[in-house]
Amino acid sequence: MYLIKKSQVMDIAKELQKEYELYGPVIDKETKQTMFVKADDAAEIDLNAPIPAIPPKHVLFPNYERIMSYKYDRQNKKVDIKPDFDEKPKALFGLRSCDLTGVLCMDRFFLGQEFADEVYKNHRKNMFIVSNTCIAPFKQCFCVCTDSGPAAQEGYDLNLTDLGDQYLVEAGSDKGKKLAEKMGLAKADDSHKKAKENAVDKSISLFDSIATDNKAWISRVMNRVTTGLIDEKVWEYIGNQCIECGACSFVCPSCTCFNITDPITAPDEADRMRTWDSCSYEGYSRMAGGHNPRKPVEDRRSKRFFCKLSYSQAKKYLRPGCVGCGRCQWVCPGDIGLPNVVTYIRREIQK
Amino acid sequence: MNYKSGICTFCGTGCGHLLDVRGDKVCGVFPMQNHPVSKGRLCVRGWNVHELLSTADKITTPLIRKNGKLVEASYDEAVACLVDNLAKYKKDNSEEIGFLASSRSSNEDNFLLMKLARSVFNSNNISLDSDPGHRNSLDVLNRATGMPGMLGSLEEISKADFLLVVGIDITKQNPIIGSELHFAAMKGARLMTIDTRNTQIAKLSNGFLQIRPGSYKVAMAYMAKVLVDENLCDVDFLKRYTEGFEQFSKTLAALNDDEVAGKTGLDVEQLKNAARDLALSKSAMVFFSSGISGFDSDTIGYIFNLYLMAGKIGREGCGVNPVTGINNLQGSYDMGIAPDLLTGFQSLSDKSAIDRFNKEWGVKLNTHPGKSICESSGKLKALVVVDHDETIVRNVNEISKMDFVAYIGSYKNDFVNYAHVVLPVATYAETDGTFTNTERRVQLAKKKLEPAKNVLPAWQLIAKIAEKAGAKWNYASPADVMAEIVKLTPNYAGIAYDKLQAMGGMKWPNGAARLNIESAPRKVSFAEIAGGLSVPLASEEYPLLLMIGEAQHYWHQNNLMKKTSIPLREYNATLLLYPKGYVAISPQDAKDLNVRDRFTVKIVSPYGSMEAMVQVTDKVKPKTAYVAYFVDDMVTKFFLEHKDVLKRGEDATIPVRIVKV
Repeated sequence: MYLIKKSQVMDIAKELQKEYELYGPVIDKETKQTMFVKADDAAEIDLNAPIPAIPPKHVLFPNYERIMSYKYDRQNKKVDIKPDFDEKPKALFGLRSCDLTGVLCMDRFFLGQEFADEVYKNHRKNMFIVSNTCIAPFKQCFCVCTDSGPAAQEGYDLNLTDLGDQYLVEAGSDKGKKLAEKMGLAKADDSHKKAKENAVDKSISLFDSIATDNKAWISRVMNRVTTGLIDEKVWEYIGNQCIECGACSFVCPSCTCFNITDPITAPDEADRMRTWDSCSYEGYSRMAGGHNPRKPVEDRRSKRFFCKLSYSQAKKYLRPGCVGCGRCQWVCPGDIGLPNVVTYIRREIQK
Repeated sequence: MNYKSGICTFCGTGCGHLLDVRGDKVCGVFPMQNHPVSKGRLCVRGWNVHELLSTADKITTPLIRKNGKLVEASYDEAVACLVDNLAKYKKDNSEEIGFLASSRSSNEDNFLLMKLARSVFNSNNISLDSDPGHRNSLDVLNRATGMPGMLGSLEEISKADFLLVVGIDITKQNPIIGSELHFAAMKGARLMTIDTRNTQIAKLSNGFLQIRPGSYKVAMAYMAKVLVDENLCDVDFLKRYTEGFEQFSKTLAALNDDEVAGKTGLDVEQLKNAARDLALSKSAMVFFSSGISGFDSDTIGYIFNLYLMAGKIGREGCGVNPVTGINNLQGSYDMGIAPDLLTGFQSLSDKSAIDRFNKEWGVKLNTHPGKSICESSGKLKALVVVDHDETIVRNVNEISKMDFVAYIGSYKNDFVNYAHVVLPVATYAETDGTFTNTERRVQLAKKKLEPAKNVLPAWQLIAKIAEKAGAKWNYASPADVMAEIVKLTPNYAGIAYDKLQAMGGMKWPNGAARLNIESAPRKVSFAEIAGGLSVPLASEEYPLLLMIGEAQHYWHQNNLMKKTSIPLREYNATLLLYPKGYVAISPQDAKDLNVRDRFTVKIVSPYGSMEAMVQVTDKVKPKTAYVAYFVDDMVTKFFLEHKDVLKRGEDATIPVRIVKV
């Protein structure tokens, strides 16, 4: 545990930028929208910025990415395949704990199973993560319901907590510790740890008054979603409101579905592109023979919430798939962001 | 920051987005949270626009047809070829030269094309597609109120108590407007849908009336009659602000309940209740389709008159709101893309307007009204087409017969096969340009990346053509073009690029959220109704009424969507299920025909026939059928046979017989 003066906290970012591509929450001057993006200058990053509209998912799993290219040599009947991996070292600076939890979910999906995804692995392998404790929630937050905040528990190299005039800097890895030592940060003691605990407690206590948009008491709903004991009418009510835009999947820090296409770039050449996909699309679950097990939109919707809120899926991620960031509620043209769906299901249970 | 703000290019909603631009590539898209229209939402098309912008299917070099084959050329050669060929047909009134403009082009590009056609080549044959929908709306609204555009606005949806959606599958056509309506209903507004099909917005409505195809105007006329009969008109409002009420209300007297019930297939009590809800609400809006399949003038006239009687025009949260299907359809009409119009809906026969244009442009404009391509009936010899997906299919016979066709566009499509000259232009993300959404909101989409090597933005290319043809234009930027537009266009007064920098742009006139009825120079007049209330009838020989429309993901010929990956997959998912296209019929009709989903059937009308596969769905009522047009064979053949019927737009209904094959 270390300490750094508030006025110097960005030195960590500057230090990281020497070795890494630096990403962090940047407030766009024109639209006033916070985006988690690459910062050319560390000064663009604002640790006090609201929760970014776009989560850091795209740094590890880009929206639309070439993952390889291939060329067919007609004369020699040979194919030349070139993987296109991005292994540049990247630092995620000022990550909120919900988004860090999203990264951990992605790790388990892409790396934690039988096959490791090489594309993801290359994005991920040289990464430095600095998380930022939320000392107050935002309007749409419900991480306290999904056990993903307001402070990060694991997965960071350094974690920052605002203690007033200084930040507590916790090292979560050797890499983190090394950096803190290299920068010669002052050591923190138990009183600072206590101060952090108080700050987190205070943050949790503020959810009632600040995080008023969403409440998602998910534990009981998880039981229902897992057992399937939910009236079809509830799914229909939810399905009717889905315009099938895919936004919920695209903004979700833990959604990992993708599609692959091979656009032709020259007569004997093609790229392999990987692009974000969404279970809300009809073509997503269509099978080769034409059968679609999830043709009606409500079936596709229930699938999404099964993915986020069932015990069987939680086994895969070692936690619920939902990280409590509330973004799906922001972008949804219907009124069926995850916290609302939880409300609808709870309402039905109470009946 | 690598995310650059811009305006979505697909429908008339005009949502704000951020494009993830890295070098010469667009790698992603994200919604703009604080945008006044979209407020952080996008639809399936908007969420995948980067795939379109990344397509390799772009036109990257000028092409000239030599010995039947298109060969690469320089801009100078291609422009010279275009100008030389048009010069052959140039006269004082060049009736043989036509210009087919695009409702996707920016205001600046369309304005310059219009200027090129009229002032350089003396041709007033400049038009959009054959779709009459939005023109009908603008004509009705302009004649009645002097405002050729949406009378209310999207930003006031949340202020309306009563929302009526008539004949538009709005969550598919303009999903984010559909979302606004849904949110308003969730907050307590009464949302009512009248449609031939059980659409998503119908399911989200408090009330849904599934009407017989072709009878919307009967329902609207009847609702107006209910207001008269039950003394529900806003009498003070009518006296103070309107004229022509007496005359209009007289025409309603003859309507009787049985006739209305018979023609619409509705319970008249439900229509009565809808009329009462409208009259008793504090504020009310109506939304109807105004794009490719809009209503005929009479139906729009009845809708307008109904709302006028209820006093629901010119007040906060009120308005008669045509919804455009394509991003700059409203702006295209604003820029005078019509044979008989100058900018801002000024008529070509308006002497003072013509004088202003003559003076500004230093020319003497040809004032013989031109014709649109679908009315030209074989007279056109040379055609300049900008960025088109559809007309080639509808007018393939006329176009293939022409002596000379030039295609200007960013993406390859079927038009290229018929063109003698092809000129590439930058995409909307590669140059500055403004787009006017369905609520009259003029928004600036800024240049976010460089065009492909040597590719010019359309405004520069058009100026180059003009210069080659002997005109001297001096525009350093699209901002200069806008300055000229504003000079010549009264309702664009006050608009300028420096004011459009702010998010959300500015609505014409003067940022107005709605028609200003207080400051109107004259009283609002009731719309004239030209025809009667006849409806298409089924017969024993042709017992089903066939409706035509758009299905999700499928827009027109969908040239754009086919260049993406995810929306293409969605398109293909339906195409693979129904390779011949589909005709939706009710489970009951399917039973009677002894067919199941995906069975092939033949659709026979008095004018022609086609084969399609059956889609069995409870979205359509028994004795009605629905075809979404997205399959080439269907559109080219069957729709050509029914061109005249289809001109009637949304209400175009064809009595057919369906037989099992």
